[in-house]
Amino acid sequence: MSTPARRRLMRDLKVDPPDGVSASPLTDNVMIWNAIIIGPADTPFEDGTFRLSINFDEQYPNKPPQVKFLSTMFHPNVYASGELCLDILQNRWSPTFDVASILTSVQSLLNDPNISSPANVEAANLYKDHTSQYAKRVRETVEKSWADDLMDNEDDDEMEE
Amino acid sequence: MLVDILEWNGVATWSWDVPSEEVCGICRVSFDATCSNCKIPGDQCPLVVGECTHRFHMHCIVKWLEIETSKNLCPMCRRSFKAVHGEKQLGGSQVLSYIESFNFEG
Ligand SMILES: [Zn+2]
Ligand SMILES: [Zn+2]
Ligand SMILES: [Zn+2]
Repeated sequence: MSTPARRRLMRDLKVDPPDGVSASPLTDNVMIWNAIIIGPADTPFEDGTFRLSINFDEQYPNKPPQVKFLSTMFHPNVYASGELCLDILQNRWSPTFDVASILTSVQSLLNDPNISSPANVEAANLYKDHTSQYAKRVRETVEKSWADDLMDNEDDDEMEE
Repeated sequence: MLVDILEWNGVATWSWDVPSEEVCGICRVSFDATCSNCKIPGDQCPLVVGECTHRFHMHCIVKWLEIETSKNLCPMCRRSFKAVHGEKQLGGSQVLSYIESFNFEG
């Protein structure tokens, strides 16, 4: 069924995401998207393959979607659940945003956290005072993101047997 | 003889006085076309211009302003959205009542 939200998402599909980001809706449901953000170069997140899910409802684009990391993250603004604390997804949402601009903001949040209201206090404290420790913890999540990729591929193999 | 009308093309054309490629920032549909809330092409779908000069399909901006979290802000510049119509300057709920009157008169 075509609704304003779905029609808008079909238009979002035609907007290329930024470099290092890929996103696409599920084949049978345009209201749920999966995305991968590659960790930006020259940051502790470099080369990580971080997966996210984006859930839209019929109020989109007047209400923001729910954006959540599926990959394990170590970041001041990401809760243990994977949910993000990002102003444009909450009180600074605008109906002019689209999938590409949301993912651009999430990507830039990776290396530019907002320390004033941390979702992960430990990550915020390490980020402020123990940069090398922080980088080490982030690198662990980067390696985990690769391992998750491998596991997925193995799952695929098993499916074929 | 019975004639089946397979296709009907209107001959009268009109367009808003804006570059034709310009799209509404909310629904991403051209201003020459109806917004994505309109089901039938040709539904009345006027433009609303704000004091800040940003413009949107009427239906799109109304839906946004009706949502509490919009705080009546323009989606583009986050200034308070006041629709401009000739001499009249309207803000907040006035936009909505102006828009309703527009609907009935139009
Ligand atoms: Zn529109
Ligand atoms: Zn409309
Ligand atoms: Zn504006």
